[in-house]
Amino acid sequence: MARGKLERKPLIPVVVTVIFFAWLYLPILAVALFSFNDKKSLSSFSGFSLRWYDALIHDSALIDSLAASLRIATIATLGSLVLGTMLALGLERVRSRRGRVIGAVTLLPLVTPEIVTGVAALLLFTGIGLKLSTTTVILAEITFSIAYVTVIVRGRLAGIALEVEEAARDLGCTPFQAVRLVILPTLLPALIGAGLLVFALVFDDFVLAFFTTGVDPQPLPVRVYSSIRFGVSPAINAIGTLMLLASGLLIVAALVIPRVLARGSSSLDLITGGDVR
Amino acid sequence: MATAVEAPKARKSPRSAQKTSLWGWLLALPTAWMVAFFVSSMAIIVLLSFGRTTNDGYPVFATSTANYRAIWNQVYLELFLRSLLYALATVVISALIAYPVAYVIALHGGRYKNALIAAIVVPFFASYLIRMYAWKALLSDDGLVNSALRGMGLTDGVTFLNTRWAVVGGLVYGFVVFMILPVYASLERLDVSLIEAGKDLYHSPVRTFFSVTLPATRAGLYGGVLLVFLPALGDFVSAQLLGGASTYMMGNLVQQQFAEGQNWPLGSALTVGMMAALTVLMVIYLRATATRTREL
Amino acid sequence: MTRRRSGLILPRPSRRGFLAGGLALGASMTLPGCAYIRDDAAVDAPLPESAKAEIDGDLIYFNWADYLAPRVLKGFQEEYGVKIVESNYDSMEGMYAKLAAGNQYDIVFPGAKWVVKLRREGKLRAIDKAELQNADQVFYSGSYFNDPWYDEGSQVSVPFTVYKTGVGWRTDKVSTMTNSWEDLWNDEARGHIFTLDDQDEALAMAALILGYDVNTAKPSELEEIKKLLISQKEYLRAYSSDDINNMMGGDAWIHHMWSGDFLYLRQGLADDPTQFDFQSPSEGVPINSDAYVIPTNAKHPGTAMLFIDYLLRPENAIKNMKYLYYPFPVKDALPAFAELAADVPACNVEVSDLENENVFRLLGADETQRRAAVWTEVKAS
Repeated sequence: MARGKLERKPLIPVVVTVIFFAWLYLPILAVALFSFNDKKSLSSFSGFSLRWYDALIHDSALIDSLAASLRIATIATLGSLVLGTMLALGLERVRSRRGRVIGAVTLLPLVTPEIVTGVAALLLFTGIGLKLSTTTVILAEITFSIAYVTVIVRGRLAGIALEVEEAARDLGCTPFQAVRLVILPTLLPALIGAGLLVFALVFDDFVLAFFTTGVDPQPLPVRVYSSIRFGVSPAINAIGTLMLLASGLLIVAALVIPRVLARGSSSLDLITGGDVR
Repeated sequence: MATAVEAPKARKSPRSAQKTSLWGWLLALPTAWMVAFFVSSMAIIVLLSFGRTTNDGYPVFATSTANYRAIWNQVYLELFLRSLLYALATVVISALIAYPVAYVIALHGGRYKNALIAAIVVPFFASYLIRMYAWKALLSDDGLVNSALRGMGLTDGVTFLNTRWAVVGGLVYGFVVFMILPVYASLERLDVSLIEAGKDLYHSPVRTFFSVTLPATRAGLYGGVLLVFLPALGDFVSAQLLGGASTYMMGNLVQQQFAEGQNWPLGSALTVGMMAALTVLMVIYLRATATRTREL
Repeated sequence: MTRRRSGLILPRPSRRGFLAGGLALGASMTLPGCAYIRDDAAVDAPLPESAKAEIDGDLIYFNWADYLAPRVLKGFQEEYGVKIVESNYDSMEGMYAKLAAGNQYDIVFPGAKWVVKLRREGKLRAIDKAELQNADQVFYSGSYFNDPWYDEGSQVSVPFTVYKTGVGWRTDKVSTMTNSWEDLWNDEARGHIFTLDDQDEALAMAALILGYDVNTAKPSELEEIKKLLISQKEYLRAYSSDDINNMMGGDAWIHHMWSGDFLYLRQGLADDPTQFDFQSPSEGVPINSDAYVIPTNAKHPGTAMLFIDYLLRPENAIKNMKYLYYPFPVKDALPAFAELAADVPACNVEVSDLENENVFRLLGADETQRRAAVWTEVKAS
């Protein structure tokens, strides 16, 4: 926790921060701007028009894809949160060589190029005779998201001293109760942060999704990816803007709701930030 | 803040058996999952790397080392080095951006801290592909940026796209978030009085930074480096959309083998080779940083 | 009933086993035998029957993204009261991988050589022309498509579109074009030249300059092609298939381009069409075509037949052409295309073009890999 505030705002870092935000949002604004472009150009804005949004609303494939993406991302996030947290808890406390090996192996998904994970998943599923479908997408996405949850939760867990848990046990908790009543609540900020991160990653995933989808409506990014090599139409910009709005609302909801429920605890202490209070 | 206490250690023994079994159990289910899905799919890739392709183009298991011999050539090695270089540049630039930004938000953000972090994460949700493509539109020779520069009379037009800087810029754009968040988390937990003390001691913000802030936030930095370097190395989107004639990366190469190249065994061998090299680097890196983070 | 399991083919003789959840099984671990790709489907195996053209469910559609006019897709859904469930691929290889994995699509749009490959593997069912009311739009007497090179007797495919590859350029930036592929080495446009990011197209372009077959896999010829392409790099800005936007954005002054893309650029997008021109180099141009096929394992082939028929209606072909700017070989729609391409005759694909030998043929794995190795080296150097 950053106690207190430093007096003077340092000039250069502030300037860097401002420039950074401008740079971060420039393409977003461009995407949003050109989604209202009258003509199909990506270089010059010729007039305001809602035609691309109009086309999208009537595009049932798009709506199905969006629904598929949301469903996949939600389930995959929950799955990887559960498994990743279990893994993190186990790894942090089991200090044996086996634990270290497992820990290292769980980092491997981060190292593997996406197309390889896609092909590998495809070969695995077909190898065991599992038909490709939304289920296989979810299974694959969970598998490759666990690593992110584990890294984040472990980082947070390292800050929770063993003694806190010991103290809980001294007070009469069973190990399971200690986990449930003491550790998980303090992990909550990390879980929310990891959850948001995984949701964003899965929602936006295209390569792994492509290789593991069946004939069900495909996740949205697969469609974007299919056209990206040959150029993007402004309809894609409209899709991008909508995705941004949807996710913005989602994040706001994720922030506001826990705050309302927990009354005052800052739920956006993302990614291991936050106090052990 | 909890401090190390000797007494509980003596009492650990009777409980530790219980504890280990719970944690061991917790470890078992996800491990089983990972083995079932991840390890086995990676095993297929490893097995396939010893395979070959039939004349009709099907990948087949075999026991040939031809693929590994094939990847040990100058072209691929140079490509790997180039990718390492781009990834390193990405890491360095990301760190140079992440520290000021995280610092300002963590230590001067006040009430707006959370909103600012949210503002960094939200764009992340708006399709990586679309945002990268937007850069292509913005930075093209007749795009908005160049039009603005010409309009201001500053220059006749800068060639942004299809250069190695465009590729690195794209990589930074895509992955800097992974550096900002861990660094922010570290800074957020920092006791500001340490920095104040440092300023009193060193009288220079720069020295304070290097002697106090940076070491104290090491954990965040190390985590960020890992989370940026690894995906940047295997990325293919940036080079494909923004790259030039000589910016081909490992990610593109692997992609090609599985697609146009129709050579899954070779692609597998390339991947295994790359992952082996990265694992070695990662082990060295983790060893070098592990002892330090234990102190925290 | 054969259980449709899939796995990689094992070389015979080989051990068969099961890849269980753990690595601990040791060396005796292999994938189940029944193939990921069946290698024993003989070429002269009886062709799975054509379906009747009738609605038998929703259409499971597998194509490039944005490759048909949305209005047409919508019209089909409304007229027949079915849904089109769309999946997209990013490459022919990706399409093939999904098909080989067992996904059951009703209609797919492969390129010519992929029709050959899919047919050979028994993955396509027959398409009975008699079921298509608009068959005579494409399969009229004397039509090339009655017996195209990629589908003998036109049994399993219906042509979708045809196109050629040439060179597009900015007339206001370059004035020294010579109607040759060597214009991609033009000094005036140095640093503003793009080559398509496509193995077949790039190698073909070099092969045509050197006078070789576009499908060549001879090591000596490939070596020369490699040197030629590497020599282009000092002029080249990038390898990219996003030709339309590269030209529109001003990055490209000369672009290795597909004919339909150029037409779209000039007639559909450009503020000043005369700023752009296209040439069909004199050394020869590659001709390619895409076709509709119905996979053997399609669940609703009847709907697929109706869909093909629907697309062959001239009014729908015209809508698609106005969306894509590629010619659809639908007889009554061709005049509309001629009108679109009136200013750029070089974009027209004549029937005589179709009969030339510059088509991308299906090659054996060795040959493909030799070509791929060359392309890799060119791109990586």
